[in-house]
Amino acid sequence: MPRHTICKTSEVEVGVLKPITIGRSPLILARLPSGEIRAVGGYCPHQAAHLKYGCISGMTNGDTPNELTFDHAGEVLRCPWHGFEYSLVSGDPLVPAPANMGGRLRFYDVAIEGDDVIVIM
Amino acid sequence: MPLIDTDVHESFSGVRDLVPYLPEPYKSWIDGGGWRGFSQPFCYTTPGRGNRADVQNADGSASVSDYGVMRAQLLDYHHHDYAVLTGYFYPTALKLQYGLASAMASAYNDYVAEHWLAKDKRLIGSIQINARDPDAAAREIDRMASHPQIKQVMLAVVDDIAYGHPMYRPIFAAAERNKLTVAFHHTVYAQGPYGMGLHYMERHCLIPIALMPQVISLICNGVFDSFPNLRFMILEGGFSWLPHVMWRLDREFRQGRVEVPWIKKLPSQHCRERLRLSTQPTEDITPDQWGKLIDLMGTDEMLVFSTDYPHFDFDNPNVAIPRALSDDIREKIFWKNAAKFYELDIPTSAVPSQAAE
Repeated sequence: MPRHTICKTSEVEVGVLKPITIGRSPLILARLPSGEIRAVGGYCPHQAAHLKYGCISGMTNGDTPNELTFDHAGEVLRCPWHGFEYSLVSGDPLVPAPANMGGRLRFYDVAIEGDDVIVIM
Repeated sequence: MPLIDTDVHESFSGVRDLVPYLPEPYKSWIDGGGWRGFSQPFCYTTPGRGNRADVQNADGSASVSDYGVMRAQLLDYHHHDYAVLTGYFYPTALKLQYGLASAMASAYNDYVAEHWLAKDKRLIGSIQINARDPDAAAREIDRMASHPQIKQVMLAVVDDIAYGHPMYRPIFAAAERNKLTVAFHHTVYAQGPYGMGLHYMERHCLIPIALMPQVISLICNGVFDSFPNLRFMILEGGFSWLPHVMWRLDREFRQGRVEVPWIKKLPSQHCRERLRLSTQPTEDITPDQWGKLIDLMGTDEMLVFSTDYPHFDFDNPNVAIPRALSDDIREKIFWKNAAKFYELDIPTSAVPSQAAE
């Protein structure tokens, strides 16, 4: 599998989408609060919006109506169109997709060599 | 495949854009900041707020009003043959000051003609009116109808109007005599039967429930019968509810025709002949279920494609209508049904299968 040196690790920050292109394929890089770097296919699995226009958020939670908590900051990617939420930890949508529709983010392997971020695809 | 997009929202940067088109005293009122325009009584929660987050000006700021952005992101990108402009400035939502609302409708129509329709022949225009003054609305329809790109009258779905009421007849009469269609679209004030709900999600789920009563009202109050050449469009209000509404109307008509003898056809027949519904937001059903739904509707000529650009719940034409549907049904949804409804010509060169025949 080809290895693509993309950027320095310091250029990938928690909470910030970093759009990249490998060949003709758009991807986004994002750093999780744990320090891990994700390389994600650049189109939303729902209706193919460019995810580079989305945002990285956290997760609202709560068991009582109108009492919201907010946690997992930096671990949720929201689509720029419909606002669907995806976990950057697992790639899964926070609300499951119907069986007949695409639902998960596409992750690519990332290697760190020295200060370099390398995406394998 | 040709593409006709039946729900595209042009806009302006603010109500002050109307000042050059307003007569006094309304010009001074608006120019002086007496009213800042409609504002939704809720907060948007998606990344682009009410719009797609990628609808941006060159400097990265949010855009809702730029023809160049729309052309690049929608008309050219998706190879539209036509896009029907449906606005999102609906003067009917102003509940008082009818003269001002009617003047703003005229001003907005002039603004759209100059800043949108004149720039691109693919754009089809809709006339905005203030339905709360039906006679003034009819005069505005007569005034704008001669524009060659104007095909439609917009009827805003608010929280207190069911358009079958006899007082709105002048609007339908004007639309019919000018050979225009009428389209219904929700506003930020549309409600369900018990209000707007308590959450944006709740309010957005209630939109179809604000559109269904318009169909029922039009049928029961004889609008379809009084204006036999008029065609009706339901925009962004869902579509899988239609079989139920048709069945219910037919059953009630059999039981209660004695009360409403002015209805001269089965309500379902009226609907199949002259009611159309736009597809966005498409419902997450399988291709097989699409086929069953069309069977329940009794015709494959009722659904017309729409994107709702630039709003956040945009439907991508490459994805939203399953490719597993038959070519015949996809062609009807993407352009044939709308071309018939709006009487639009599609250049023969854009229709390879027909050009080859």
